[in-house]
Parts: sequence; structure tokens; C-alpha cells
Amino acid sequence: MMARYGMALDYKNCINCKACESACKEENGILLGADYHRIWVGVREIEGVFPNLSIGSSSFEPSQCQQCDNAPCQEVCPTNATYYDDNGVVRVNPDQCILCTYCMQACPYDARYIDDRTTTVDKCNFCSDTRLIHGETTTACQATCPTKVRIFGDLDDPDSEISKVLRDREYHKLKEHLGTRPKLFYLT
Amino acid sequence: MNLSKILPYKKQTLKSFFTFEFTPLNIFMFLLTIGLVTAMLWGVGAYLVQGHHAYGVTRQHAWGLLIAMYVFFVVSSTGLCIMSSLGHVFNIKAFQIIGKRAIIGAIITILTGFAVIAFEIGHPVRMVIYNVLTPGLTSAIWWMGTLYGMYLFFIILEFLFLNNENHKYSKIFGLAGLVVGLAAHSNLGAVFGFLVARPIANGVFFPLYFILSAMVTGSYLLFLIYGWRYKMDFPPEVQKFMVTLAQVLGLLLAILMFFEIWRALTAIYGDMPERGDIARHMIGSKRFLIGEVLLGMLIPFIIIVLSKGRAIKLMVYASITGMIGIFWMRYDLVDDTQLAPMLPLKIREYLPAPGLTEYTPTSVEWMIAIGAIGLAFMMYYAADKFFDLDHTTENVH
Repeated sequence: MMARYGMALDYKNCINCKACESACKEENGILLGADYHRIWVGVREIEGVFPNLSIGSSSFEPSQCQQCDNAPCQEVCPTNATYYDDNGVVRVNPDQCILCTYCMQACPYDARYIDDRTTTVDKCNFCSDTRLIHGETTTACQATCPTKVRIFGDLDDPDSEISKVLRDREYHKLKEHLGTRPKLFYLT
Repeated sequence: MNLSKILPYKKQTLKSFFTFEFTPLNIFMFLLTIGLVTAMLWGVGAYLVQGHHAYGVTRQHAWGLLIAMYVFFVVSSTGLCIMSSLGHVFNIKAFQIIGKRAIIGAIITILTGFAVIAFEIGHPVRMVIYNVLTPGLTSAIWWMGTLYGMYLFFIILEFLFLNNENHKYSKIFGLAGLVVGLAAHSNLGAVFGFLVARPIANGVFFPLYFILSAMVTGSYLLFLIYGWRYKMDFPPEVQKFMVTLAQVLGLLLAILMFFEIWRALTAIYGDMPERGDIARHMIGSKRFLIGEVLLGMLIPFIIIVLSKGRAIKLMVYASITGMIGIFWMRYDLVDDTQLAPMLPLKIREYLPAPGLTEYTPTSVEWMIAIGAIGLAFMMYYAADKFFDLDHTTENVH
């Protein structure tokens, strides 16, 4: 069954517990010490000088591959190692990757990294090969989040939770002006 | 089948191959070449053991010195091809004597470029396979690589027909090599120009600049090649060619400086993030001011202007500074493109405060990159031994 998967991030609920990062590393076999591979939580520190501190400036912002509908990384790949799968997920076939790292130059989100296990470029694939392929409709990061920051689902299904949330709430996307059409939505 | 019928070559014994006149300059070049090739082999050895970990490249600065050096060599090749085509494709008389020497130079520099990139691309064999099986037609790298492959094929045929004095076919393949070479080389510019995520590189500048600076590079190399060939004692027709070359180079440098000035002004104007800041950083750097501007453009330009192009011996020396400048142009364009870090919501954590990305080449990278120049010297020495690269009286009109 084909879907068009996306993720909404209710990022203001994030408590920076890093359960998502741990779950992702476990699920996808990310090597020890390989920080900010696949997903990460960005921290905006409190700005200002005591006592005039800006509490509003302090926030946690989970991020990862934006699963663009018009992905620059896919466009520049000389061997089509990067491709869109049937679910609209941007994925990498490690057998075809020649490690020219052009995709790492092209990605505006710094979402790609070199996987030292295969010496090819890798990225978040919404747990396609560990969950979606088995018919599950969750990702490791989303399933484990204690404050339900992450809402994962089919954007083409009007009854899915993500579709409902995106109808009801305001959101923004990252670097949208580049024409990448990201499928990660930051709920505001 | 007799090879010498297809490609006439001079027969060499092992002894005659390694025999050269023991002048101080020859001995210096011999030792330099041996040293450079040894350095390259050493570097390649380290790379084969450690992979990309032997290089200073990082996730945020994934392209380093070897990409710059690849660009340096293929720019040289395209430049030599364009400049030689002025003679035997476009029939400009003064340039008709350089055909064989310039084209063998183009073949050698592109082969050296391929040798360098082979140690940068993580899976070069896989590249050859999937370049054909699953071509990425929207990728500038695919077009650049494929067109350069065709270009090499055409200029080899051109060289073959030049050696056979078959001017009809050498002209046809010369034109084919020129057109495909221009396409390949502007595609290399587009590899950077197509990066929508990087405002400092994105746009039309690089594809045009690559062609223009290729012609400048080709001119410098011709000065060096001919300065070396005649040891500064030029016959009249070569003298005439070099004066014309200097005058053409003067014009090319003027256009290049005009390009650079407007590029800098448009990049700084308005101070657009990831463009204005990067451009100011770039223009204020010693690499740009001393390397690119002074060595790469001003010194040769001033000599040409003051002597009206007649100081050809001085231009041979100025071409050494010119090539050093060209090297820094290649290094800077690769480095500048990646200076602005991509930091979507990863502002503070895991990373130092947002600044520019940092990259310093490792000794392994320097050994492969600079050592490759020795590889080019070695191939040129061999080509000079096996082929008659001098012009014939027929070429002199």
C-alpha cells in the first residue's frame, strides 16, 4: 500500500530527554559516538544577561532529514543511489552509492552523514527498512517519545492523525524558500 | 598490426629512455619529479590503509584539497585544448605550431586529474558501473564525468591524427574535443553553481568562470611548456606565437579581473546571509589577495601591459606565479562553497557557536595533491621521448 509519509513535530513539548536519539541509534545500528547521525535535538539556550533573561529563547528543537518532496540530494546524485521510495521517503541504496558526497553538499539541512559501516552516505529513512517494510506505521523516535512530540503518518490519508493536526494547527517548515517542499512540519 | 602505422612513435631502449642531458635544471627537474611521485605513492598508500580518515575532510566540509586539485588539473586540460584549438580548429596562424604539444598536455593533465579524483571518490569502480547502469541525468557530476570521458576519447584521436599529419580528421576530432570539453568543463562549474543550498556558489558565475579561467590556465601552461622546450632560446616562429599568446592572455586576464570584481561586489552588496559574510571573509584572506590576485592575475598582467606582450622570457617565470595563483583559485572555490555551515535547528548543541566551517588538509592530502604534479611531469617526459611533439615547417606559414 502506498502512502506519503510525513512527520509533524509539536516541538514545544520537547523536554530534551533524548529518548528519540537513543531509540534511533538502537533501531538503525548507529555506531557508538556517531553523534547527530540521522536525528538530533537542537538546543536554543537562554539568551540575555541575568536578571534580564529571555525565557522564550530557550527551546528544544528536534530535527532530522526533512524528507523533501523535491530533494536536492536526490537531484544531484550521479548514480541514482538516492531515490524516492513508494512511500515518498527519500532513501539511499548503499550498493549504488559511490561516496562522491555531492548530496552532502546539496542538502540544505545537513541531514546526511557517512556511515562508517558501509562507507556510503546515509540518512534518516523513517525506519523504512526496519518498520514500514513490515507493515508498521510508526518510527522508533516517534514510538518512544514520552511527551508525544512526534506525529507520524500518511499525509495523503485525510483521516490520519497528522492530516488532522495539520488542518487544525499552524506550522512552519525549514528553509522552505529553497523549494525543497519538506515533509517535516514544526507545529507552532 | 604495426602500432607505429597508427601512431608513429620514436623507438626507445631502456637506456635511451632514461638518458637526458645533465644540466643543473634537468637534474633539478629529475629529482623534483622523483620526489613528487614518491610523495604521491606514499599518500596513496596511507589512503588505501585508512580511507577518508586519512584526510582532513569533515561532514560539514566534505570536499577538500583533492577536489580542488582535480579541478586544477581538468581546468589545465580544458585550457590547453581551447588554446590549441585556436590554431588547428580556428586557423589562427600564430597558434598553429602548438597542436601536438598542447594536446598531449591536455591528455596528460586530464589523466592526472582522473588519478587524483580516484583517491577522493570513495568507490571509483562502483562509479564506473553505476554511471552506466543507473545514470543520474539531473546530476551535474554525472554529466561532467561522462562528458570528460568522451572528451578524453576525442582528444586522444585528435593527437593520433595530428601525429599522422592527417589535418582533416585532426580538425574534426579537435572540434569535437573542444565542444565536448567546453560542455564538460562548464558542467564542472555547474557542480558548484547548481547548489541551491549554498548562496555563495549558486548561480551562473562558476560555469562561465571555469571556461574563462581555463583559457588563462592554458596560456600559463603553454608559456611553461614552451619555455622548457626551448630553454628560453626561441626560434622566430615560436617567438611570434608567444608574443601573440601574451597579448591574448592580457585580454583574458583583464576579462577575468572584470568578472572577479563584479562577482565580489554583487556578493557583498546587501549582505545576504551565507553570501555577503562569506564573500567578505574570502576577499579579506591572504589566499585571495596574495594567491589569487597578486600571483594569479596582477604580476603576469602588469608584465604583459608594461612590455606590450614582448617580455616573453619574463612571462615564462610569471607563469609559475600564475599557476600558483590558479591553484589557490581552485582551492578557494572549493573551500568558500562550504564555509557556511548548514545548521538547521542544530544551532548550539554538539557544535561550537555558529561560525565558519574549518578545514585544514592533512599531510596525506598534500602528498597526493602536490605529488600528482610529478605524475604529470613523468608522463610529459615519456611523451616527449616517444613522440615528435615539435611543429613541422608545414605548420609555419
